[in-house]
Amino acid sequence: MSIATIPPGPAGHPQARRTLHQVVWRLLPLAPFAFVVLAWAAYWTIAQPTAATLPAVHDVVAAVWDLAAKGELATHVLASLWRLLLGALLGILTGVIGGFVVGLNRSVSAFLSPLIVFFNAISGIVWLPLVIGWLGIGTALAVFLIWNTVFFIVFQNTVLGVQLVPQVFEQGVQALGGGRWETIRSVILPGALPYILTGVRSGLGFGWRALIAAELVGATTGLGQMIFGATEFHRSDIIIGGCLIIGTIAMAMDRWLLLPIERRTIERWGLVFDATKEK
Amino acid sequence: MSAPQPASRLRRLALVAPEGRKIVLGILLIVLVLFGQQLYGRATAYWRLDPTLRDASGPRNVVVVLDFMPDRFHGERVSQYGVFAGRDGALNRIRLRNVSPDSLARLAGVAWVARIEPLP
Amino acid sequence: MSMVSATSASTGLSRPASGPAIVWRQLRAFRILLPFVALVGVWWAIYASADFSPQVLVSPLAVWRAFVNLVTHGVMAEYASTSLRMIGFATALSLIVGVPIGFAVGVNRYAAHTLESFLRFLQGISGIAWLPLAIIWFGFSHTTTLVIVIYTLIVPIIFNTMIGVRAIPETYTLALRSLGASRLRLVRDVYLPGALPSIVVGLRLGMGYGWRALIAAEMLVRQGGLGDLIFGARTFGQIDRIMTGMIVIGCLYIVVDRLIVQPIENLTVAHWGALRQ
Repeated sequence: MSIATIPPGPAGHPQARRTLHQVVWRLLPLAPFAFVVLAWAAYWTIAQPTAATLPAVHDVVAAVWDLAAKGELATHVLASLWRLLLGALLGILTGVIGGFVVGLNRSVSAFLSPLIVFFNAISGIVWLPLVIGWLGIGTALAVFLIWNTVFFIVFQNTVLGVQLVPQVFEQGVQALGGGRWETIRSVILPGALPYILTGVRSGLGFGWRALIAAELVGATTGLGQMIFGATEFHRSDIIIGGCLIIGTIAMAMDRWLLLPIERRTIERWGLVFDATKEK
Repeated sequence: MSAPQPASRLRRLALVAPEGRKIVLGILLIVLVLFGQQLYGRATAYWRLDPTLRDASGPRNVVVVLDFMPDRFHGERVSQYGVFAGRDGALNRIRLRNVSPDSLARLAGVAWVARIEPLP
Repeated sequence: MSMVSATSASTGLSRPASGPAIVWRQLRAFRILLPFVALVGVWWAIYASADFSPQVLVSPLAVWRAFVNLVTHGVMAEYASTSLRMIGFATALSLIVGVPIGFAVGVNRYAAHTLESFLRFLQGISGIAWLPLAIIWFGFSHTTTLVIVIYTLIVPIIFNTMIGVRAIPETYTLALRSLGASRLRLVRDVYLPGALPSIVVGLRLGMGYGWRALIAAEMLVRQGGLGDLIFGARTFGQIDRIMTGMIVIGCLYIVVDRLIVQPIENLTVAHWGALRQ
């Protein structure tokens, strides 16, 4: 969600001025990143901190390049993404199905609500000490923690979406002779879809964060493990590089994968939806 | 903004009251967690000390008696009040030397200490 | 994040305490507790059905006993207090620093546009990812944990303050300015109330992230706190302690979120929410 997608155009100015304005508008978001890099380089040149405390900008780039060349980076990134994919798919599937089953039945959802609130409060990394005893270190643990995180978010949003579908639509289909399945397919599913997608988008964001936390503690590969392993050898360059990669993947995933899906589905179904409600 | 009518004031109060109650309850619970055990310990400090220790004027040597088998956690906490001098027979009896009157008073306020006896 | 329940008559008006109302309220407490009783029942049934090693599953009774032990031995109070103090301190600092920054950025459309992507990027690198770096800089200390939790909290607060300020219709600020209001007056009468609902939403969001980051950080830094408690219990295979810790973590979060922060959110939206329409 962008605060202002349309750059404010000064009225009555010539075409060239307006295009320049648009270009500047597009470039502005890069300014803070550039500023940080410049400040970092400046500080490094002036204060000359030890490599462990704050490596030079080129050190970080070199370290990342080195890892990429050795193929290690690809291994870690793929390991992390694979875990995210598995956990998220499981979470979305169980979340949507569970959400529908529970959402369609008011008394069941009222009964389960306190339990859901409680387990949502401990979702994610809190399960690690317990589950590590069941599943050991590695992919299974990470997938469980991601599933846990994604499930509760998607589930809650699905229930919300299902329950918020105006009754009049359901009744409309039933008045025209549609059965239960017809109602669900043609009214409730499209109606709940925006909420489900918001849940998916939110869940994936949380899931990625939970994944990194899980890998920090209990993994042998993956980006989280890569940066935590580097702590032992005081390789700050790897750590910073890893963090930047983590952030970039999160951003890329959100902006180029999830946001378009969400937007297009909402456009297609033509539903008005408050996009500021991020759970 | 114009002055609220009496009816809307009441309505506003009715809206605020249940939320206000929750906030008060929530804060009370948090305060209980943060300070409850401490306050209980301080309230019962007098009975935790052996009578002979109650008017301590100078540093004393004491035995800290616990009702349970201590973890490393408890050993660490107790050692802050004096010089750790080993066990006194059983694992749940800890000897402390050179406990100042101030430390003794604070040690007496620790809720999970059963009692503090003098070290002969 | 409560689910919409058709049974919750959300008129918001509570009647003065009368006979039927008191019974209704007690019924509500019962309705909240019943699912958990059912859950414990299922748990007990599963535990009793097979012979589980104490490394895999323990009985509800064992967890209760562990809880009582931890409380009477003073362990729970100290670890829980450490976590609560940390989150409280981090929240206070994040608000004091984050809200003014959010205001400063929000009032200017260009500043907001500039920083939006940067803040999102920072949010994508969860606080926990910075933990290794923080450990190198500050060692295994409370400072490390505090820095990470503040980072996690402050980004949503700044972001939501920014959104809140930007959402205030310009007509209000222009109206007051045309009447000669000073900057300070503008902040007090338009910006602050107008952005407040959004700020509180950001606070609530941030505390959700922050509590999780706190537990995770405590697991790694191991200087006290509930994360340390449950991770340390893992080393000794004390499943009963782990589960006790998890339940306490959940309960404390619910107390803070539902009994303190959510009511504040409801109050600000109810009081000032009309401004956003």
